[in-house]
Amino acid sequence: MEAGKRKTEEEQQTLVDRKRKAEISEPPPPTTTTTVTMNAVESLVTQIQGLSGSPNDVVALHAHLNKVDEALRGESARLLPFLDQLDPSIHSLGYLYLLDACTSGPVSKEQATNLVLITSRFLTSCSTEQIRLAPEKFTGMCKRFKDQVLLIEAPMRGVAPLLVAVRKVQPSSEHLTSLHPDFLQLCLLAKCYKTGVSLLEDDIFEVTQPRDLFLYCYYGGMICIGQKHFQKALELLHNVVTAPMTSINAIAVEAYKKYALVSLIDNGQFSPSLPKYASSSAQRNFKNFCQPYIELANTYSNGKIAELETFVQKHREKFDSDNNLGLVKQVVSSMYKRNIQRLTQTYLTLSLQDIANTVQLNSAKEAEMHVLQMIQDGEIFATINQKDGMVRFLEDPEQYKSSGVIERIDSSIQRLMTLSKKLTNMDEQMSCDSLYLAKAGRERQRFDFDDFDSVPQKFNM
Amino acid sequence: MASSSSSGLTFKLHPLVMVNISDHYTRVKSQMNPPVTSTSCSNTNGNGNGEGGDSAAVKAPPPPPRVYGCVIGVQRGRTVEIFNSFELLYDSATDSLDRAFLLKKQELYKKVFPNFYVLGWYSTGSDAEESDMHIHKALMDINESPVYVLLNPAINHAQKDLPVTIYESEMHVIDGIPQLIFVNSSYTIETVEAERISVDHVAHLKPSDGGSAATQLAAHLTSIHSAIKMLNSRIRVLHHYLVAMQKGEIPYENSLLRQVSSLLRRLPAIESEKFQDDFLMEYSDTLLITYLAMFTNCSSTMNELVEKFNTAYDRHSRRGGRTAFI
Repeated sequence: MEAGKRKTEEEQQTLVDRKRKAEISEPPPPTTTTTVTMNAVESLVTQIQGLSGSPNDVVALHAHLNKVDEALRGESARLLPFLDQLDPSIHSLGYLYLLDACTSGPVSKEQATNLVLITSRFLTSCSTEQIRLAPEKFTGMCKRFKDQVLLIEAPMRGVAPLLVAVRKVQPSSEHLTSLHPDFLQLCLLAKCYKTGVSLLEDDIFEVTQPRDLFLYCYYGGMICIGQKHFQKALELLHNVVTAPMTSINAIAVEAYKKYALVSLIDNGQFSPSLPKYASSSAQRNFKNFCQPYIELANTYSNGKIAELETFVQKHREKFDSDNNLGLVKQVVSSMYKRNIQRLTQTYLTLSLQDIANTVQLNSAKEAEMHVLQMIQDGEIFATINQKDGMVRFLEDPEQYKSSGVIERIDSSIQRLMTLSKKLTNMDEQMSCDSLYLAKAGRERQRFDFDDFDSVPQKFNM
Repeated sequence: MASSSSSGLTFKLHPLVMVNISDHYTRVKSQMNPPVTSTSCSNTNGNGNGEGGDSAAVKAPPPPPRVYGCVIGVQRGRTVEIFNSFELLYDSATDSLDRAFLLKKQELYKKVFPNFYVLGWYSTGSDAEESDMHIHKALMDINESPVYVLLNPAINHAQKDLPVTIYESEMHVIDGIPQLIFVNSSYTIETVEAERISVDHVAHLKPSDGGSAATQLAAHLTSIHSAIKMLNSRIRVLHHYLVAMQKGEIPYENSLLRQVSSLLRRLPAIESEKFQDDFLMEYSDTLLITYLAMFTNCSSTMNELVEKFNTAYDRHSRRGGRTAFI
């Protein structure tokens, strides 16, 4: 290692000599930009290697790296070989800075493949404490990693490393980082919804950037739709649509469209009016952008499938341009399901032909297929008698007596207890908030009727 | 002072008497003025000594007060049963109890309880003192052989029995002089049904505001919890013992093993499926109620939080209005 280092130093020394000779004939460079020579980068590398031991050293290294950061970016093309001398798990901070400088310039497709490999290895093996010293740099580098992965059209390769990166950079599982939406976007493009769902399990309590929240909830909703968890998708999309916003943004408009469709699939109805706590700008403006969806909801509520299908055909391009055509088709099929479900409330047994007639399906065979699918999905409880083509509707056999039910209730109680603790904490913090105390003091009655002690007129904060 | 009594009388004490004495003592103690501060105390002493008072040691806490009163009851043959008591004022000038008050009280009690006689007197303290003999002798004109009930108010957690002693007076010859001295007598506690209920009630009432449903439930659950904890620790001990026996560290003891085996055979009391069903259903019902309670709790906290938030940050709320104070 020593001999190798000396050798490269000699080589670089000759390089430097040649450069110096060249410089003499040129005008001296302006003093504001410091040109980083290969020698300096080499010494930086050794410094990184030396100072990555204890936490104090790392902090000092961090300060030093910040100083030379600008200069490093200028040399982005030539920094790649130096990365091999560093170990990503031990020298994480230095590796991060070098890698960041490498990727700061424009990246071609071939370079991207190589960089993706290096970055994924780095992300999986870097040390969390060192990374947390420079979170913005880490986040920026991860975003560029995502772009590279998309450039080489292999989103699947970015999913696992980004998941690891998200877990490493977030201070706790309740914080929302800027990497969450990027990760979810990759999951969507790679169609691996299950990994995305694992990230959506966490309850978020701390958000720094509103844009992150919008994107996170929007992508999260789409992933849940992909997994057919319509309830959770509705929750997430509802968050986007009712989030406080001074002026509407495109994410919210798209989310509103999907929100309408999912609530039709799940609940069978959709009211265009937003709840009172939604922002006023949202309440006024969403309707203008989502006219066809609202009309779709109206047609749905009439209950006639033929009308619904003609409506869908008419506005087909509009739905397609919004990438919502698949969802709209699901809305149409949900109409059949809802009609069949309505039948269970009236009839005990029904023939397949009658079902087909009532629900406006083409044949008994189609009706049988539909009913079979619904039984499999657990949406109705019935038995089909193939001999005479009769369907007998049954009651929900769930007795809620099993230990599985008890476990579910128990875990819900635990979750509720942690939530309750959080709420009490927030309540206490709010009571100490100066803005609140000022207003609460101002609104007090001037004179207390019970005792004639003069009450202070307002709190001077 | 205390040797066994030889009079052959059996004493029966009612809990009412003890509660009365302790109540009297507690009242007097809590109404006492706070002790004098150390600086003023040392000023009165320091001037005499010619030293500054600031470095004086902290004054010792005042001695606990002594309370006095009379005990009344019935004497049938050799059995003395002490039913009730009332308070008396102690006149430190004449070093005796207030005679007029005593007679008046005695008259009043005679009207209500014609059977009861003044049997003696009571006081508080750790041990009988010389000065007590004066009071004792003074009472001898009402009752030839009065009884002295002494309650020790010092709380001693290690002590298992009651801090109440009953003394009689006997004539003994000491150093050639016949003297009256106090001798210790044994006694038993006698309870009437009403007394038993009230004592039970006092014993189980741990929280100060006790009686509300929440505290009763909490007390009930705590007692169940401690019982289960004790059961758990006992089983653990047994288990540890058996494991050690299995490993061979302790020699086999067949009689113990037989007992354990019979215990185990008795165990599965109810094992049927119907029991499982019913048990799980009731369990899930209780869990649901708890869940509902938690929900309500959370909702109310959330409501308060939102109201505070609106007061602090909502621009469109009521401006400068004074809400009616109800």
